[in-house]
Amino acid sequence: MSTAVLVKCVVWDLDNTLLRGTYLESLPDRPPADPAISGLLAELGRRGIVHAIASRNPPEAAEYAAQATGCEFVAAECGWGRKSEALARIAAGLDISVDALAFVDDDPYERAEVGAALPGVRVLSPEDAAEAVGWPEFSPAVVTEEARRRAGLYRQRHRRQQAEQAFTGSHEDFLRACQTEVTIAAASPADVPRLHELSERTSQFNSAGQGLPAESIAALLGAPATDVLTVRLRDRFADDGLVGACVIDWRQDRVAAVPLLMMSCRAIGRGVIDSLLTWLAGRAARRGAAAVQVPCPVSERSVPLRLALARAGFRAIADQAARPGRTVFRCDLGTPQPALPDWVTVPGEA
Amino acid sequence: MTGPGRPGPAVIADELRQVLAAATGRPELAALTLDTPLFGGGVGLDSLTGTLLLRQIRQRFGVDVAAEDLNLDALTTLGTLTTFVCDRVVPDQVVSDRAVYRGS
Repeated sequence: MSTAVLVKCVVWDLDNTLLRGTYLESLPDRPPADPAISGLLAELGRRGIVHAIASRNPPEAAEYAAQATGCEFVAAECGWGRKSEALARIAAGLDISVDALAFVDDDPYERAEVGAALPGVRVLSPEDAAEAVGWPEFSPAVVTEEARRRAGLYRQRHRRQQAEQAFTGSHEDFLRACQTEVTIAAASPADVPRLHELSERTSQFNSAGQGLPAESIAALLGAPATDVLTVRLRDRFADDGLVGACVIDWRQDRVAAVPLLMMSCRAIGRGVIDSLLTWLAGRAARRGAAAVQVPCPVSERSVPLRLALARAGFRAIADQAARPGRTVFRCDLGTPQPALPDWVTVPGEA
Repeated sequence: MTGPGRPGPAVIADELRQVLAAATGRPELAALTLDTPLFGGGVGLDSLTGTLLLRQIRQRFGVDVAAEDLNLDALTTLGTLTTFVCDRVVPDQVVSDRAVYRGS
């Protein structure tokens, strides 16, 4: 497990950071993009790190920066409020933790304000940023197909959110109208790099509460009485690829133990975790288990996962074997089992 | 106990209806009855809308439901949630304006 928390999104200032000069003071001309920083944007993009803007400029300055740098920005906060608040809004909009943000600004005052308000954010000067590409926080061990397409997936996610705001009807009806397809299937060796990446990147939806080395995941694939399942998600807006997984340990008598349950934050609110928990219960019941048990960290960060467990009927049990800060949640399997939503397919199961 | 500066159950239930309607984007939830299950068919609370709801409750009432309720039983119905919040609300914490969603 790597100790550095990976940066998922870099938030850039415009004036004298992304741009060589000050946007408003240069009008009607506009300052060129800093070529070194533009190169940095492209390099980080290839590593699956996305970019956003926080600037004291009108919104058209962000549009101009996208053209000038040739880079796609997944969010732009243009205004005169505190930059720490802009960063918090960017993180909330992307459903990621503020601790997964880095912030680059030439102004020491702005860096100090963000650093004081959001101590988990990596705060950098433009000079620091050039060096930071070598730091572990900016160097994911593997870069998967999902990672390379990440900026586009956030853009499609934004379009989906706008469509949902305009949609009148239940959330389930919306998922159906989007032609949501959730596919649950046994993991193959080809999935190991993405499973490793997912285990390192997920924080809100990771029942293990930490990353898992690729070798450990590969070893689980062949382990006796162990199943590793992947969850893929697509709809008419985008193919999100592999967004979730779980490991089931069948060695206990009549209990399906789940040492790892994880899902990409990008898939939140799209029926994925609920489908996986419903499928888990059905699978466990068919194998003769009386209960499913999921150890889960109890912290502010794990609230979304605890909500999904509560919704699926899991309850905390006293378990001496649970590590500190963690609780085992258990779902006793009744009959009949709830049916899987019609958008879930499980190849290999009738 | 309802006293000056301390909102009673009816006020809190109304606030929670507003928060639920906003979190789910379904204005009809503003007329929710107290016995409606929040996770089930009635409201269909999930990880996303549930996280928004709990965050708003913390901002507006100063009550951290997830920290105090391991199994999140408070989210059984609107009535159980109202009681839970009502028993713990700190009067000074109540924000009457729509709280701005700022993330975590």
